[in-house]
Amino acid sequence: MLSSKNSASWAAIDAAQSSPKPTIRLRSDRMRKLFPYLLVAPAVAYLLMITLYPGGYAIYQSLFYVKFQTWEFVGLENYSELFADREFWLALANTAIIGGIALFLECCLALLIAYHCYRDPWVKGWRIAFLIPMLFMPSSVAFLWKLAFMDGRVISDLLITAGLLDDHIGWTSSIWLSRLTLIVADVWQWTPFLFIIFVGALQGQDQEIEEAARLDGASWSQIFWNISLPMMKPVIAIAVVLRGIDITTMFANTFIMTKGGPGGYTETISYFIYRLGFKTFNFGYASAASVVMLIITIVLAQLVVKRAFKSSRL
Amino acid sequence: MFSSKQPRSGARENRFVRYLVLASWAFFCLAPVVWFLSIGLRPRTEIITASPIYWPTFSLDAWNMIWNDWPMAHYLRNSLLAICGSVVIDLLLAIPAAYSLARYQYRGREDIGFYILSTRMMAPAIVAIPIFFLFKHLSLLDSVWALMLIYAAVNLSVVTWIIRSYMLDIPKELEDAARTDGASDLRILLEIIIPAVLPGIITAGVIAAIFAVNEFLFTLLIASTKSAYTLSVALANFTGGSDGLIYNAIALVSFLAFTPVFLVVVAIQKHLSRGLTMGAVKG
Amino acid sequence: MKNNNLSRRSVLKAAGAASLATAVGGVAGRAFASDALPDPQQVLDDISVSKYVREDYQKLYNLSGAPLWDPSQDWIRTVDWEAVRKELAGTTVRFAVGAADQESAAEGLIPFEKLSGIKVELVPIPDDSFYDKALAEFISGNASFDALQFFSPWLGDFAAPGFLANLDEYAEKWNLPLNDFYETYRMNYGYFNGSLYGIPFDCDIQMVHLRKGAVEQVLGGKIDKWNSIPSYDELIRISSELNKVQQGVSGVGIMGGRGFWSTYTWEHVAAQAGMMLFNDNWEPVFNGDAGVKGMETLLALAKNANEGFAGHGWPENRAAWLGGQLATNISWQDTGTQAMRPDQSQIVDDFVTIYEPRIAGGNFAPPNIAGSTSCVAASSQNPEGAFLMLAFLTTSSIMAMNEANANGVAPGYRSVLTNKELQTVSQPADVWGTSLDYAWCAPRLPGMFEMEQAIGNELNRAFVGQISAKEALDNAAAAVRKIMKRNGFYSSKPPVEYAKAEPGLWVGKGKALPFS
Repeated sequence: MLSSKNSASWAAIDAAQSSPKPTIRLRSDRMRKLFPYLLVAPAVAYLLMITLYPGGYAIYQSLFYVKFQTWEFVGLENYSELFADREFWLALANTAIIGGIALFLECCLALLIAYHCYRDPWVKGWRIAFLIPMLFMPSSVAFLWKLAFMDGRVISDLLITAGLLDDHIGWTSSIWLSRLTLIVADVWQWTPFLFIIFVGALQGQDQEIEEAARLDGASWSQIFWNISLPMMKPVIAIAVVLRGIDITTMFANTFIMTKGGPGGYTETISYFIYRLGFKTFNFGYASAASVVMLIITIVLAQLVVKRAFKSSRL
Repeated sequence: MFSSKQPRSGARENRFVRYLVLASWAFFCLAPVVWFLSIGLRPRTEIITASPIYWPTFSLDAWNMIWNDWPMAHYLRNSLLAICGSVVIDLLLAIPAAYSLARYQYRGREDIGFYILSTRMMAPAIVAIPIFFLFKHLSLLDSVWALMLIYAAVNLSVVTWIIRSYMLDIPKELEDAARTDGASDLRILLEIIIPAVLPGIITAGVIAAIFAVNEFLFTLLIASTKSAYTLSVALANFTGGSDGLIYNAIALVSFLAFTPVFLVVVAIQKHLSRGLTMGAVKG
Repeated sequence: MKNNNLSRRSVLKAAGAASLATAVGGVAGRAFASDALPDPQQVLDDISVSKYVREDYQKLYNLSGAPLWDPSQDWIRTVDWEAVRKELAGTTVRFAVGAADQESAAEGLIPFEKLSGIKVELVPIPDDSFYDKALAEFISGNASFDALQFFSPWLGDFAAPGFLANLDEYAEKWNLPLNDFYETYRMNYGYFNGSLYGIPFDCDIQMVHLRKGAVEQVLGGKIDKWNSIPSYDELIRISSELNKVQQGVSGVGIMGGRGFWSTYTWEHVAAQAGMMLFNDNWEPVFNGDAGVKGMETLLALAKNANEGFAGHGWPENRAAWLGGQLATNISWQDTGTQAMRPDQSQIVDDFVTIYEPRIAGGNFAPPNIAGSTSCVAASSQNPEGAFLMLAFLTTSSIMAMNEANANGVAPGYRSVLTNKELQTVSQPADVWGTSLDYAWCAPRLPGMFEMEQAIGNELNRAFVGQISAKEALDNAAAAVRKIMKRNGFYSSKPPVEYAKAEPGLWVGKGKALPFS
């Protein structure tokens, strides 16, 4: 990376080598030790500000029944109610199911496209086309698919013309159909994201190994399965983690397309919290749900992220 | 350095399958976009009908409406300001943090890195209410500053991560050489590292910009007037009230937000792939 | 209005519509000194059909320019503006509006500023989160606005904790024509627990609309608004016929979406079956026979309904109706007005609004559902000025012209709905007006918003077949009881006395039917 374009860097090094000893120097060992902390401190402080205060506030508020200005202490009642709440568990399940399926599909599709794409320089110019869905606002994407599926009935019309359907179907009346619409919207928008990660990784792989395998007579798909894919494992892990984290916060699609869908079966946890807080104004209860979510995400993060951290060169 | 100048093309039938797959996917990606554009450029009565209309009459009704009836220029300006501002904040915070995480060994390094990453898991709905009250106390509500702060916070983790992985790729020899000559750590950072990872910084910035445009819930809560309304919330204007869902306006506003991002991505597409491999593959 | 997102935009757009802004020379220069104020009569003369109603609509309906209202009931023309000026000129009122309306609001209020000398400052809140933001303002204890307008079912939610100012005194002093409102609007949008807190703003009712061509074909004759579909059973039968007529067109349109949409739809039909939400001890009784009958009727209708109905709220239903996807529709009256406008509708001239179908053993109880009311904040610094501004905005002439513009804001005045000219521009008006004397309405209670959501979420599950009607209503009743309890209802001093709320719940009680 440094070879080609960084004459500036070389110049800097030359300058450092040839100039007299710089006057500013971290002399003491103490300063040396503190320096990395100092570097990372602003970022951490900033994030703490944005996460600590709301976190603390949410924890505090979750112990009360809040109705407009009156706060009534109820201890852990919000939590016990929450765990007995069918809708809460449903929301968790929905997030896991919808997110899980979407993530899986995105991964597979992205790998498939990347596989076909990375070897061919001709396709390079067209790659930008694959990126386009990702560049729209999520709410735009949600409206697009809402119109295509539900309001404008375009998808069912096309299916009817193709002879696959007899009549328009109610996407929002069926649990799995409505989930499908959310999944399609998410997959359409975010597969490109995984795609560029995978393509970059594939292109970055050492060509010599492939050449050697080619010479041995291996087919491209064999090479892919046995060589490229295993080498990509860390990248896939990271991509899945990154995208997976975002999927747990899925909100816009539910908010715009299904509002929680038939009987709550497309309500993601994020929407559940929003609904409790902003539609029923049950802020104490919503805070309790938020705290539970916070704990879940921390635990999940501990498990998944640290593992990914370790398994890769990160 | 690997470059894909040499084609790794396969047998003839492989090529056919390949192009078929790619063409289908390209169609799946682009057809909805073209259709959505056609929604934006047609009269309102032709959007929702008994039978969908595929060849509508051309109409600039929605275009006129969004510019005449709404302060669209303000929304655009706010979106751009909030995004650029947040990217700047992110870069200022992330570059030193990334360097610290990439190059130094110290106690708590992994925990700190993990903490930074996990902030991305913070679902907006969780923190929305307290943040709303916080900003209200600070009189920051309804200002582009508030948006900048929020977007920066939401994206800081990703930016840090990306830059860090670029930094990992820099050969240690460069720094060692500079250090033996007495350059301070700070100077190394500023004069060697940063220029070296400039592509990574740009990539990280663009990614952050894309994610910032996407932000919805906070913007909804914080902005009230055209002084802070961005394009993402502007969409909400066309979805309520007595006019119902105004799809052609929604479509055009969507494209309005899409276009600048698209142009930037075209400009830097070369770097995009590389940045996102997170340095997990040796380049 | 049927959304959280209210129709401030529409009314203010209408008010600011025409040449008024230009006539006065621009939007600037809003604070008027008392002696610089123009002659009130001049300003009032400009508030007229020719200036306010859209030109293309004026032509379409051949409007002569004659008022669509009764001038003697039009508050702005009867109030003494000089007296207003003497007392309040130079003061300021802060009005919360949807951010989208800001520009048109400024225009629409210019005549008010000229007439009264009161300066209006707009406090914009984004439409989508209007309620949430307004609430947050109230919670903070120091709302940044003096006046606001919101969904009328939430009158209890805001009035009970004392967020709203009592308006009895002002209404009396300035002779607000409260009696010109139909009782159901006056009692339910204005009063809480016997005191006046709001002026009815957008006055709603849900009705049944039919596509003329298709229905006449199935019925084999012209539609009679009272007799053609005399019962819901008949509607079920017809909608199943209509379902087969044309592909892409469903027999009936229903709003079965999650949340209050399902609640409203069910309230509509169940009220005809005789359902009342509570008994006189405020215990929920809506899961009784009448409530169940209402839901079962809906489930039967749902078989012939538009396929996405379980996800439909008002915006989707409206779009489907105006786009021609529905042969009949159960929705608000404005779907009957807006369908007349060629720039919004594909079904112009092909529809008619009928009288509420009856259910044997039930009541004739056309449902007054949703709507909005306009109120003054209790913490207001200029409550009287705020009141006057609201009285201006809700005056019958401006309201009548909103209806003419089909912008979704609907008048609740007897003098307007019975006005012959208005009836030519508003197709549902005469059926609507007659129906209002028999209207059913839900009581305005604290916690009502939460209850509507709870009921609707359960009903939505029944709509998609997850649970039975009875089970849904039982669950809903349990949830409602819990909410009522939390709001203080089963104590010795409930926030609302049943006796005070009762007269507004069904104004048709004891009356003979309008037709035989």
